[in-house]
Amino acid sequence: MSATVLTSAEDLQASEQQGAVLLGMEGVAQSFGGLQVLRNVNIDVPQGRIVGLIGPNGSGKTTCFSIISGFLRPNAGRVHFAGDDVTAWSIQQRSRAGLVRTFQTPKVFEHMTVLENLMVGDYKSTHTGILGAMFRTPGAGAELSAMRERAKACAERFGLAKLLSTRAGLLPAGQRRVVELARACIGNPKVLLLDEPSSGLNSEEIETLRHWIVTLNREGLTVFLVSHDMGLMTVCEKVHVLYFGEVIASGSLAEVQADARVCEAYLGV
Amino acid sequence: MFPHPRLAIATASVLAWFLLPQVLSLHYLDVLNFAAILAIGGLGVGLLLGQCGIVNLGQAAFYGCGAYVTAYGTTVLGWPALPSLVFGAVISGGLAALIGFPILRLSGFFLALATLAMGSIAGVLFFEWDWLTGGTLGMGGIPKLSLLGFELSTPGRYHYFIWPLVVLLLWLARNLVDSRPGLAMRAMRDAAPAAEVLAVDMHGLKTAMFVICAVLGSVAGSLFAHYVSFVSVQSFTVEKSIMFLLVPVVAGVHSVFGIVIGALFVALVPELLSGLGDMHQVLFGLVLVLVVTVVPGGLTGAFKQFRLIRRGR
Amino acid sequence: MQHYTSLLLQAALSGITNGFVYALVGMGLAVIFKGSRIVNAMQGEFAVIGALFTVLALQGGQLPYPVAIIAGIAVGAVSGVAIDIFCVRPMARRNASEEGFLLLTIGLAFALSAAALYFGGRDSHLLPGYGGDGVIEILEATMPVHAVWLIVVSLVVVLALRLFYTKTLLGLSMTAASADPDGATTTGINVSRMRLYTFMLGGGVGAIAGILVTPLISMNYQMGIVLTLKGFAAAIMGGLSNPLGAVVGGVALGLLESLAVIGFPSGYRDVVALSILVVIMIVMPHGLLGRAGRVGG
Repeated sequence: MSATVLTSAEDLQASEQQGAVLLGMEGVAQSFGGLQVLRNVNIDVPQGRIVGLIGPNGSGKTTCFSIISGFLRPNAGRVHFAGDDVTAWSIQQRSRAGLVRTFQTPKVFEHMTVLENLMVGDYKSTHTGILGAMFRTPGAGAELSAMRERAKACAERFGLAKLLSTRAGLLPAGQRRVVELARACIGNPKVLLLDEPSSGLNSEEIETLRHWIVTLNREGLTVFLVSHDMGLMTVCEKVHVLYFGEVIASGSLAEVQADARVCEAYLGV
Repeated sequence: MFPHPRLAIATASVLAWFLLPQVLSLHYLDVLNFAAILAIGGLGVGLLLGQCGIVNLGQAAFYGCGAYVTAYGTTVLGWPALPSLVFGAVISGGLAALIGFPILRLSGFFLALATLAMGSIAGVLFFEWDWLTGGTLGMGGIPKLSLLGFELSTPGRYHYFIWPLVVLLLWLARNLVDSRPGLAMRAMRDAAPAAEVLAVDMHGLKTAMFVICAVLGSVAGSLFAHYVSFVSVQSFTVEKSIMFLLVPVVAGVHSVFGIVIGALFVALVPELLSGLGDMHQVLFGLVLVLVVTVVPGGLTGAFKQFRLIRRGR
Repeated sequence: MQHYTSLLLQAALSGITNGFVYALVGMGLAVIFKGSRIVNAMQGEFAVIGALFTVLALQGGQLPYPVAIIAGIAVGAVSGVAIDIFCVRPMARRNASEEGFLLLTIGLAFALSAAALYFGGRDSHLLPGYGGDGVIEILEATMPVHAVWLIVVSLVVVLALRLFYTKTLLGLSMTAASADPDGATTTGINVSRMRLYTFMLGGGVGAIAGILVTPLISMNYQMGIVLTLKGFAAAIMGGLSNPLGAVVGGVALGLLESLAVIGFPSGYRDVVALSILVVIMIVMPHGLLGRAGRVGG
């Protein structure tokens, strides 16, 4: 179960031409109460690739992530996705366009079963409204059954079939992460944003996570992840390094790890 | 126990509905009808609380609106009862949409306090606009409801009409809870950011539920007006809003049909304690405090816990 | 013209006076929020309890006025302590939700208001004004002498609170205990006890508000909720954890509501004040209960 890692600059260039930029930040700047957190951030995530964002604490990774996922509007700069300028788009609009994220602590719907959690993932492609639901129109019933079937199929796929009627709040961190992933994928997203996906997971669970990232990517899902875990980062084909609000290096993991500025940033040498 | 406990409860309920007017005194039949009215208004508050996690402390505003509109419509404008009731619901729903749109952006305490403010403002306006509402003197002579020529002039007749209506509304609510919008609302309540990321339009859903709550409150108010034939400001105070809130809290916020139990409780307690005068209001507050601190799942929650313990789990 | 300016001045004076009452309620709210992160929906009831108890001590117990006042404040403080011990503590131990605490304080507000009805009846009760029941003249308007005392005492309270929270070890500990409970525990602060003191202080300040306002407009069992809401408006304007800010907010609110209803029945004052509350919550919640931007990462 090895990750596809590009190790030479030529390979990188070749494959980038294949994958047009699906998601990107351009000239993004952000400050909070006088503190400049992001200066001039340019990040691109080519289609079909696994791209990572790393950087020391305080470099602005979380802020970047919030801006890309729509939880924060940047003071300056643009975010574009699938050819559109989405800087002003709401979280819901981005989601409907195919941009989904997960959270550092997996946000499952605690009081709902795993099955129900997955069904919510199908919300954006379904239509039953409040009136239709109340009066139990045939369309509403059919749609709900279809949602249930798709959720069950998704659970099968992700190995959650035995947990369908378990309340999500009772699951350990690793399984919550899988539920969150499965729920995000049921809507056939174009790009998956992962925020510190390995936090709180043991090594076995991280392996499972890694397996899913690679598998989903092979099926065409573009992945963008932010993480401290260098071991997990080996799954990335391209990595951007953020330092004090600016991207100081981009390339394969091996390349950036050898980069002098990156070493200085992390080790202060 | 019985092979089908739900079926048993349903059968017992239908039998009770049928037989109680023959058995109960007029006074307790009256209390039972109030319980039905409380159930309708309390259902609205319960849906907001259990599905959206919103505490609505202003239900009395819509209750009063429904009551006054139907009273004004039937006594001053001479309209029949049903159009007046519907008109009241439309006005309440419209006001809810208008008020809800800005305030539903708030969350938690702020939202609850905004609803409390709304209820208090309504109370003042009901009092000040006595040209419309009759102020403390109230409006009387409200005609009874007539169903297909059959006038609901006694508590017994009212009972046969209102409880099936309650069951119908509860059924509609249950359908809503078990549906796609219901899933979305509970997701929104459990982890709002995650729901947003799955394209749930939280503001739209909350506004829709607020409108539904208002319509239910308004219908309850109109039914109340046509039952007692007289309304005045004393019925539409914050105390009434707390009573509506108590119904789902006592029942257990996640239970739809359990609302009946909550309503019966809130209607019966003042009756059983009538000897103590105004003490029952203190008790309502204390019950709210107790349920929240000791039995957060309400009566249905406690019952479920009890069953789990009995099964030795 | 002359008549109008005197009307304006009169409204302004009564507005400022009321404003300081709202400020005191808001200060109590700020104290409790600062010390426990709980929004106390029953803060106004401390005012009702304190005032009614003072009336009881004065008329029923025949105690001298100053002693009755101290008794009223003490009852407010003790109520706060009781609420912390019997209600807040068990819920905090269970990690109850924000919604739960809200329902709790609402239930308490209602229970206490009903208790006030039961024990105090439906009538309004009056207390004598400080410095007698006379008035002073300011240009063409009059102001009760007691109102001046009210303003002076409120200012003393807010200054005392400011000094307490910034200069005394206890005040700093109480703030630390709620801002960072784990950190505070490691430095030897008893977080639970700090919260107890917080509720004690909040209850006492609330009682002072009630005792001060009763000579002017009399107290009845229904006033708690409106006082809480207006005090809340004052507190939010000031930033919810800031007693000094609550004064600014309170006086602003008092002025606005009085000036807005010149020529209208006084019942509309509440409508104005509560509408202002809602607008403030929407437009300037000061980001205290909202999301503060996260920096770095």
